[in-house]
Amino acid sequence: MIDLLPQLVLTGLTIGSIYALVALGFVLIYNVTGILNFAQGEFPMIGALVCATFLAWHASLPFAVLAAVTAAAVLGAVMERLAVEPVFGSHPLTLIIVTFGVSMAFRGLALMLWGADPYSLPEFTPGGPFVLLGGVLTRQAVWAIGLSVVVTVGLFLFLARTIPGAAVRACADNPLASRLVGISPRRMSLFAFTLSAALGGVGGIVIAPITGATYDMGLALGLKGFVAAVIGGLANAPAAVVGGYLVGLIEALTTGYLTPGYSDAITFLVLLFVLFLQREGLLHGAQRRQA
Amino acid sequence: MKRERVGLAVLALCLGALPAVVSTAYTITLLNIVGLYAIVTLGLILLGCSGQVSLGQAAFYGLGAYASALMSKDLGWSPWVTVPLAVLIVSGTSYLIGLPTLRLAEHFFALATLGVGIIVNVLMVQLVPITGGASGLRDIPALRVPGVRLPADLQFYYLIWISVAATLVLARNMTSHRTGRALRAILGSEVGAAALGIEVSRYRMQVFVLSAAYAALAGALYAHYIRFISPSPFSLYAALFFLIMAVVGGLTNIWGGLLGAGAVTILDQIVRAEVPRLFPRVGGEYQTAIYGIILVLIMIFFPSGVVRGVLDMRRTVSQPAPEGATPTVGAAR
Repeated sequence: MIDLLPQLVLTGLTIGSIYALVALGFVLIYNVTGILNFAQGEFPMIGALVCATFLAWHASLPFAVLAAVTAAAVLGAVMERLAVEPVFGSHPLTLIIVTFGVSMAFRGLALMLWGADPYSLPEFTPGGPFVLLGGVLTRQAVWAIGLSVVVTVGLFLFLARTIPGAAVRACADNPLASRLVGISPRRMSLFAFTLSAALGGVGGIVIAPITGATYDMGLALGLKGFVAAVIGGLANAPAAVVGGYLVGLIEALTTGYLTPGYSDAITFLVLLFVLFLQREGLLHGAQRRQA
Repeated sequence: MKRERVGLAVLALCLGALPAVVSTAYTITLLNIVGLYAIVTLGLILLGCSGQVSLGQAAFYGLGAYASALMSKDLGWSPWVTVPLAVLIVSGTSYLIGLPTLRLAEHFFALATLGVGIIVNVLMVQLVPITGGASGLRDIPALRVPGVRLPADLQFYYLIWISVAATLVLARNMTSHRTGRALRAILGSEVGAAALGIEVSRYRMQVFVLSAAYAALAGALYAHYIRFISPSPFSLYAALFFLIMAVVGGLTNIWGGLLGAGAVTILDQIVRAEVPRLFPRVGGEYQTAIYGIILVLIMIFFPSGVVRGVLDMRRTVSQPAPEGATPTVGAAR
C-alpha cells in the first residue's frame, strides 16, 4: 500500500494541473461577470478534439495546438456574444440555465461532429518516462504540470503587470466604477470568456495524450474544475490552482485506495463539504469584492 | 379563480374520456410518461417559484423509483405501501440534503444539486448487490388496483393522471395563498422578503422537500409501471430534460409543468425519429445539442416560459418594453 503512494501523488498532480486550468477559467469569468459558467469543461473537450482532428490531417503539432486553442477561444467568444450577452444582468436562475444549456449544446454538437469514439493524441515529446521518488512520471505528465504552471504564472503577470490586466481586475472589483473610467464591463466579459476558453483549451490538449479525448470529457473536467475553484474560494486565482491540484490528489488517492468507480462521488462529497463550510454571504458578496 | 377551475374541470373531463376515443397502446404509454414527467416538472417549477433551480431532480426521481422497487421486490411489500413509503423516505432524504444546501446562493445550490445528482447516479451504478448496477432491477411487482379489470396501461393512465391532478391542485393551492405570496416575495428579493418577516429558509425548505416528494412519487410510479429500472433514466441527461420542461412551461408557472412535459415529450419523439436520418453516424445522447440550444433560446427570448412569452409578445408588439427593463425569471404573478 505504501509504495503506491508516490505514484498516486504524481498521477494526482498531473490530472490536477488540468483541473487547475479549468478552475482558473471559472474564477476569471466569475469575478468579471458574476456568472458561474457551467460550460467551462467543454472548452478542454473542444481543444482536445480540434487538435486531434488537425493532427489527423497531418498538421504539425505546434500548428495543431495553436489552431485548437484558437478554436476554443473563438468558441468562448461566440458563446459570450450569442448566449450570455443577451441575458446579461438577468436573474441568476436564467444565467445558470443558459450556461448549462450551452454546455449540453456543445456536448451534443461534438457528438454529432466527432462521434462517440475516443480520439488519442500522441505525446508531445515521445520517450521513456522519468522515475521520481519511486513513482513513474511520463513525459506528457511533465508537459501537463509544466504548461499549467507556465500558463498560470503568465496569467498572473498579465493581470498584475499589464494595462488590460488591470482593466480586468478593475472590472472584477467594481463594474460601475470601471465604467466611469471607460472600461466596458461587457467587453471585459467577452474577454474573460475568450481567455477562460483558451485556458481550458490548453488544458484539454495537454491532458488528451494521457486520458484520450471524447465528446463527453467536458462534464467531469468542468465539475472537477469547479470543485477546485470552490475549494479555492472562487475569488482567489492562486487558491483555485492549489484547489485544482488538491482535487487531482483526492481523485488519484481514492482511485488507488478505494474502488475506482467511487472517485467521482468522493470528489463531489468533498465539494458539498466545502460548500457547507462556507457561509452564503461569504461566497457571494465579501469574497467577490476582494478579488 | 373561477376560470381556472372551469379549465381544470374541462381538462379532467378530456383526460378521463380520452381512453374511450384513442386507445392505441402507444398513445396511452406516451400520455402516461407525460403525466409522470409533469409531476416531476411541477416540483421543479415550485422550486423555481422560490428562486432556485435544481439540477438533481433526476436523482430524487431515481431514488423514489429504487426505494419503492427495492422494498416491494426484496421485502415483498405491496406497492400500495411502498410507493407512499418511498415518497416519505425521499422527502426525509431531501430534508437532510436541504439542511446544508439551501443556505447556498442560487449558483451554488444548483451546483450542489448537480453534485447530489451525480453521487446518487454513481451509487446506483456501483452498489451492485443492492441496485443491480448498470443492468438494473428486473421484475418489479406491478401496481394493480384490486378488483379492476382494466388493462395495466389504462389502470396506470388513471392512476398517474389522478396523481397529476392531486399534485397540481396542491401546488396551486400552495402558490395562491400565503406560501405563494411569500415565495413571490423571496423571488423578487430575498433580503426584502426577510425584512418583511418572511422566514426565507423555512419556505425554501418546504418547497424543496415538496419538489423532491413530487419527483419521488413520479419515480415510484414509474418503477411499478415499467417494472424495470436501471441508472440511465435518472442521469444528468434526465435532469436536463426536466429542466427544459420546466423552462418551456415557465419556471414559475404552475400550469406550465403540464404544458412543458407534454410539449417536450412530443418534441422528443420527433427528434428521436428524425435526427438519426440527418446524422446516421451518431448514437447516444445527440439530442442534448438540440435541447441545449432550445434551453438557451428560451431563456433569451421567453424567460417566463414559451406560452406566456408569446402572449406577452402579442401584447407588447405595439409598445416595446422600455430599454433596460428589469428581466426576471418568469413574470411573478
